Amino acid sequence: MGDGMSSNGIGRLTGKVALVTGAGSRSEIIGNGQAAALLFAQQGCKVVLVDFEEENLSRTLRKISDQGGEASFYVGDVSNALDCQKMVELAVNTYGHLNILHNNVGVGGSGTVLEVEPEQWDHIMAVNVKSMMLTSKYAIPEIALSGGGTVINISSISAIRPRGLTPYTVSKGAVIALTKAMAVDHAAEKVRVNCILPGPIFSSMTSVNMSDEVRELRRRSSPMGIEGSPMDIANAALYLASDESRWVTGISLVVDGGVSLMSPQR
Amino acid sequence: MALNRRLEGKVAIVTGASNGMGAAEAKLLASEGARVVACDIQSVPGEEVVSEILAEGGEAEYVHCDVTSEKEWESVVEGTVSRYGALHVLVNNAGISSTSVEDNLSTESWEDIMNINATGVFLGTKTTAEVMKEQGSGSIVNISSIMGFVGGEYGHPAYHASKGAVRIFSKAMAVKYGPYGVRVNTVHPGFMPPMTSSNHPTSGSRARYVEQTPLRRTGEVIEVAYGVLFLASDEASFVTGTELVIDGGYIAQ
Repeated sequence: MGDGMSSNGIGRLTGKVALVTGAGSRSEIIGNGQAAALLFAQQGCKVVLVDFEEENLSRTLRKISDQGGEASFYVGDVSNALDCQKMVELAVNTYGHLNILHNNVGVGGSGTVLEVEPEQWDHIMAVNVKSMMLTSKYAIPEIALSGGGTVINISSISAIRPRGLTPYTVSKGAVIALTKAMAVDHAAEKVRVNCILPGPIFSSMTSVNMSDEVRELRRRSSPMGIEGSPMDIANAALYLASDESRWVTGISLVVDGGVSLMSPQR
Repeated sequence: MALNRRLEGKVAIVTGASNGMGAAEAKLLASEGARVVACDIQSVPGEEVVSEILAEGGEAEYVHCDVTSEKEWESVVEGTVSRYGALHVLVNNAGISSTSVEDNLSTESWEDIMNINATGVFLGTKTTAEVMKEQGSGSIVNISSIMGFVGGEYGHPAYHASKGAVRIFSKAMAVKYGPYGVRVNTVHPGFMPPMTSSNHPTSGSRARYVEQTPLRRTGEVIEVAYGVLFLASDEASFVTGTELVIDGGYIAQ
């Protein structure tokens, strides 16, 4: 498929600066945020990588420098307002402006409302939803000052096809609502806001403790009979990050091999 | 930097390629390396689009295709495969607007609009999907509209019905052909510059569209073409049955 460069050989994000949260990877298996960071950098974007563990970030940073890209990093907690303010400041102070915010951080959460502990519910909402509100709160004014740009949030097909992961489903549904609300609120400032709904992706997050049987079941859940890779999500994010999508805002882009087309068969 | 085009080596059919969005899609796909079969019923502007592509160093040819004719579809698809040896991408772009008819509740107009906008997409998709199934891969991009999601006060309601048909038909075909590596997706443009088939009464209603669109302008054909390019390319290899809305935020509200 090539390196995806535009036909004139210029990167599709040349001159842009992106803040990518959840950009680390806890193993050598690639993560969604990591894949996006690598792809953005490869397309000429300067990237600020955010994760809560420096070790996770070092893997991404090394890969970006190996491919000749430019990146900085911030170790922090995206559910903490001060950290969010500081990561945005780092991006602007280091590279002069900010065009793209890519919110990847998320945690899973299973069970029904009868089973979930209220504290666990609050934690999932804080990490999956409040974090996106906070990063956006500080990033949007800077993106607007830079002449406009884009926010890309990671939701999930669990938001539209529940299956026993109720806290997660609710948090990812909130991401869709937040995306649309921010798209409407900030269109006048030329800030576009979109989200991606991944299906069964084999990533550093989902691969933890996944048996071969479960992995095969996930593959068979899509009409295409394949699992997705973080690069599939990254390519969708690249489209939404670039000026190619400059008239696209408030959308939910499903990247799931067709799983959500046939919900009962999952 | 290496020059790697996003559709290098692919063969693509684009319908309604003589004007507007279809012309922009044909040109963009060709500039990214696709060999383009530009189909339309208007040969003069169609040949012009092809000339422009050739002048830029791209590969394209004009082939007549009335999308409502099963026979013509068979001939276009067979001809493409015999000349190029494969068919990787189909963009079902041909369509007529809601305001292309005089009477907004005429049954005859319902049939015309459904015939071109819905049946045309059905015929193109089914003919092409079978070839792609044999190949084991392919990407079909069907142009629907935001009017496939919402109602509207102007024009014939058949337009909404036809675009809604495209949207859900594409999902059914995505499920049916997914096991063979064939992807089927839809693109939903918002308010665009008037189509050649359009007979839109007032410029006042266009000003209202702009006012109601969060990004405060109508779309440009190249913006739709870039969405088509993404779905057509291998970058979207895990994307099928999905809806790509390109509307300045209109239906997010």
